[in-house]
Amino acid sequence: MHPLISVQDLRVSFRMGQRSVEAVRGVSFDIPTNSTLALVGESGSGKTVSAMSIVRLLPDNALTGAASKILYNGQDLLRAAPESLRALRGKDISVVFQDPMSSLNPVFTVGEQIAEVLAIHLGLRAHPAWERALELLDEVGIDKPRERLRAYAHELSGGQQQRVMIAMAIACEPKLLIADEPTTALDVTVQRQIMELLARLQQRSKMGMLFISHDLALVGEIASQVVVLREGTVREAGPVAGIFHAPQDAYTRALLACRPPLDARPRRLPVIGDTIPPKETAAPRRVSAAIGAVPLVEARGLRKDYPLRAGLFRRSMLQAVKGIDFEMHKGRTLGVVGESGSGKTTLAMLLTRLTDPSAGSIRFDGRDLTLLDAAQMRAYRSRIQIIFQNPYASLNPRFTVGQILNEPMAIHRIGSDADDRARRSIALLDKVGLGSDAFGKYPHEFSGGQRQRIAIARCLTMRPEIIVCDESVSALDVSVQATVLNLLLDLQEEFGLSYLFISHDLAVVKYMADDILVMHQGEVVERGNPGAIYANPQHAYTRQLLDAIPRGLSASA
Amino acid sequence: MTRTNLQALPRSAGVWEQAWSRLRQDRVGMASLAVTLCFIVLVLLAQLGLVASGWQMEVGTPFAPPHFIGKITDGSQSAVVAGIDGPNVDISDVDPLAPRYAEWSERAARFKTIVSAKSDTLPFGGDQLGRDVLSKVVKGAQVSITVGLAAALMATLIGTVLGAVAGYFGGRVGDLLEWIYNVFTAIPYILLVFALAAVLKSGPLAKTLGGGVWSLVIILGLVGWTGIYRLVRAEYMKHRSREYVRAAEAIGATHAARMFSHILPNVSHVVLVQLSLHVVGFIKAEVILSFLGLGVPIDMVSWGTMLSEAQNELVLGKWWQIVAATAFMATFVTAFSLLTDALRDALDPKLR
Amino acid sequence: MLPYILRRVWQMIPTLLGVILLIFFLFKYFGGDPAEVMAGLKASPERIASLRAQLGLDRPVWEQLWLFVQQIFSFNWGKSWTTNEPIAQIFATRLPATLTIMVPILLLEVLLAIVAGLAVAYVRGSLSDRAIMVISTVALSVSFLVYIIVGQYLFGFVLGWFPVQGWSASFWKNLITYAPLPVALAVLVSLAPQTRLYRSFFLDEIGQDYVRTARAKGVTENAILLKHVLRNAMIPILTNVATGLPGVFIGSFLIEVFFSIPGLGREILAAVNRSDYPVIQAATVYLAALTMLINLITDVLYKLVDPRVRLT
Repeated sequence: MHPLISVQDLRVSFRMGQRSVEAVRGVSFDIPTNSTLALVGESGSGKTVSAMSIVRLLPDNALTGAASKILYNGQDLLRAAPESLRALRGKDISVVFQDPMSSLNPVFTVGEQIAEVLAIHLGLRAHPAWERALELLDEVGIDKPRERLRAYAHELSGGQQQRVMIAMAIACEPKLLIADEPTTALDVTVQRQIMELLARLQQRSKMGMLFISHDLALVGEIASQVVVLREGTVREAGPVAGIFHAPQDAYTRALLACRPPLDARPRRLPVIGDTIPPKETAAPRRVSAAIGAVPLVEARGLRKDYPLRAGLFRRSMLQAVKGIDFEMHKGRTLGVVGESGSGKTTLAMLLTRLTDPSAGSIRFDGRDLTLLDAAQMRAYRSRIQIIFQNPYASLNPRFTVGQILNEPMAIHRIGSDADDRARRSIALLDKVGLGSDAFGKYPHEFSGGQRQRIAIARCLTMRPEIIVCDESVSALDVSVQATVLNLLLDLQEEFGLSYLFISHDLAVVKYMADDILVMHQGEVVERGNPGAIYANPQHAYTRQLLDAIPRGLSASA
Repeated sequence: MTRTNLQALPRSAGVWEQAWSRLRQDRVGMASLAVTLCFIVLVLLAQLGLVASGWQMEVGTPFAPPHFIGKITDGSQSAVVAGIDGPNVDISDVDPLAPRYAEWSERAARFKTIVSAKSDTLPFGGDQLGRDVLSKVVKGAQVSITVGLAAALMATLIGTVLGAVAGYFGGRVGDLLEWIYNVFTAIPYILLVFALAAVLKSGPLAKTLGGGVWSLVIILGLVGWTGIYRLVRAEYMKHRSREYVRAAEAIGATHAARMFSHILPNVSHVVLVQLSLHVVGFIKAEVILSFLGLGVPIDMVSWGTMLSEAQNELVLGKWWQIVAATAFMATFVTAFSLLTDALRDALDPKLR
Repeated sequence: MLPYILRRVWQMIPTLLGVILLIFFLFKYFGGDPAEVMAGLKASPERIASLRAQLGLDRPVWEQLWLFVQQIFSFNWGKSWTTNEPIAQIFATRLPATLTIMVPILLLEVLLAIVAGLAVAYVRGSLSDRAIMVISTVALSVSFLVYIIVGQYLFGFVLGWFPVQGWSASFWKNLITYAPLPVALAVLVSLAPQTRLYRSFFLDEIGQDYVRTARAKGVTENAILLKHVLRNAMIPILTNVATGLPGVFIGSFLIEVFFSIPGLGREILAAVNRSDYPVIQAATVYLAALTMLINLITDVLYKLVDPRVRLT
């Protein structure tokens, strides 16, 4: 069958000052009509650049190759005149972007923005445009559509904003919808709703869809064809069943394998040929350390309220954490899973005393940490450490790696002199898999995963007993995640560390944790053993979370 | 591992080293740097008295033109007052001193007196009193640039310290500093300058500060810190909730360590650019204030006083003082502004 | 809305008090002795002492402060020390002249800068960018004084297109004959930096994600610039105009001095030169209050321009 769009030998490079950086190096694929093609890849794979080339929405410094062609309706879109391209955008081919909040114009109402695209391509104005916009909002599942027409972007939730974006995109009944990571910025339960909406719309209108994602499992539920990209080249392409059941390329296999599986618990996760060779990727299951008699940390009745300013005199409180109890045991990992607003990050801040609780106690080594003043707490800081989510923000850009590792040792007086500390730093850098060469470099010279390893090394300089991992792998690519998770497990075995592992990703938490807390709006709604929770969830919210996990092809089959 | 091994590890270039190497490749930036340095050297020489120290001497005829124009010979230059036209009356028979004149002339002729020859042309021309415009403009450069630099340093220091404290701590201290900031910014800039100028002119401090440039430096510094305060405070507020500062707190760093070892290096490039911008602004302000008579005292020269004299000279057709002052000022300010732009680009190439 | 305004007025009070305190103590402790200044250079000690009693300077400090505060809120400043003209009258008579000059300047500046800024943002080539930056840097490095002196000389004296100086009692004559030269000079000088500033506003908006969405919808480049970008850039432009508004009331004292325009700026400058404290104090306090009022109005106007603003 004749494809809707045919991309042939696409090459795109970006001019940065004197140099040129190649983002896409000869990618070819065909997008069929009336079905979904998924472009899958990690960061730097060129998937977004390839998709944006179709509508020529690339930055000014982008250069396309002379031999590259993108054919639509007999026309080469790369050579088309700007005016004819403009006529296609929004009408024949539309785009839904990743971050709906910034993609919507903040000063115009939702209705005005939808009406705009109707006016440009269908010539609808005033009342007819407004009515059609109303229909569209209804079709994408927005409640109270008449009121929402007059709403501004910031008055809507993330999910609603994305629905508005989709409404604008399908307004003129396009032949192709390009969805660039449309759900990445959304909570996992909302993600599921948007995915279902997109699938339904695609089937009803029989349009083609180009779906871009880094999540292979997510893609497996919606796509009929898959193209796997890595570093600007196509690694594998084909029908989705083939990709999932019989992947030919090593990278595709690795992508499928290094996600923590929901139904097994291998000792370590397989990785894609990184610097740390996994110890054993073979079958043996991971065994948790035994539960000791006395818990290492005992928290009771933890509460944290934030004051909100509302009205002239009233001050309402935002209850981030509403009375939580938990225990941590030596050598074991306590997992905390929840979506945004659940209070899980606040919990991390409370345990490390980066913020003070409004009520409750945290007992550690015989003392209540909440009662300590700053000077007393300093001594305990070396024993409870934290790894943050954003590897690009947690290291001081003006410090060298050597300085970053030296500072905590200097504060806690570890190591006899500067040389000794330097030697310890280098030993730790080796342990986390970065060589001694890293010592004199700056953070911006490293990738996200490497920076997280530096952060881990920084924690280790103080020989902590507890490490809080606050979404520490959430910002990393899947393959890099596996490396960091493996490293954390190795260190736990070697040093007997206890982790508080926080994440919104239930699959990762299930793999890493020995005990789990499920949090929702500041409360623990369910707790227990990972296997039990997965097999037999008690609370409705837990069930909702489990349902939302993309299972890949097996679920939709 | 021995000490030598540590030395052998590769070291990457820090922010300033990288900025310098970027600046080196910017031709406009390097040219501006060269011009600025020339001026700075000139200022230092003038400060030490090695150059233009004799600017007050009247070495030329009034309104002597520049060399390349040549002497004015059409008679319009002479300020000779026409003598009285009348009968030459000889009063020596009633003048009691008349017999002594010859003797006195003879005695006077025996003393050597130095009469400085007043040149008819000077390198950049002369002003109304015959003072050398070139010396004046160099001395003026010294005064204007020194005032600009000193005031900018003072304003930057005040603004940075207050901004850091307000941004980092917030709370009561922040509120107090915000109140002070609001008070200072509620009063329009020019009015505050005028009020301070009025007060320092006639008040008790006028004697201690002795006129001179210091009252001007204080006025400009006390009024100009607000812009930097705002920026530094915003930067500190932004950085204090960044994760690397949180991480520093988590490992046990003190407040002082976080403010100065961690955040300040990340903010210093902003401060440096602000400092440069304020230098230019203060030089221009000084020129205007000196023009109005509120700046440097009467016995000193600055570009502003030269412009004030030039205002009247222009209608007489004597343009060299205004051109000299404008040219020097424009050259320095342009060079310094371009240098600031180049510096800003070198420090943060993403900002374009 | 009303609770918001009330809260803002409540917050303004400490600032106003701070200004009053600052001005009072600045002039009291750092300024000269008012009695000496008023009495003149050759006054006898008895005259000075009697003046001092008249002005209430022998009373305790807090009484003097209270008197000061009363004067402010009753708008009764008494008379100028040197000209003996009631200060309220000084303000009333000088303000119209200042506004006749400053309001056209502000309007022209903003409108021209928006047009020029849009044009430059549209072109956006790196060559024109650099050229404009260099030209405006050189233009800015010449002092405003020089522009006025040369402008006055050239257009007034030599070419005779405009009167060199002067003012009349008729509003229209002022606007048409006497105002154009000073207004043109002032706008000319500020055009380059203002255009640069507005251009940066426009470029900031062009780089935002919603512009990418608009392109993806097929909106023309012109519509993007004139509808989407301009509307969003109104927010920083409003801030910029509001920052310049208090200046409209003070006037540009340089222009007024050069062109002999009897405005507020020239009056204050003269007051400084003759140490006429009441005039300076009054002007400072009232203009500070006016500035705070303008800020409040601006913040309320933000709500019209930026729907994200929540007036809490």
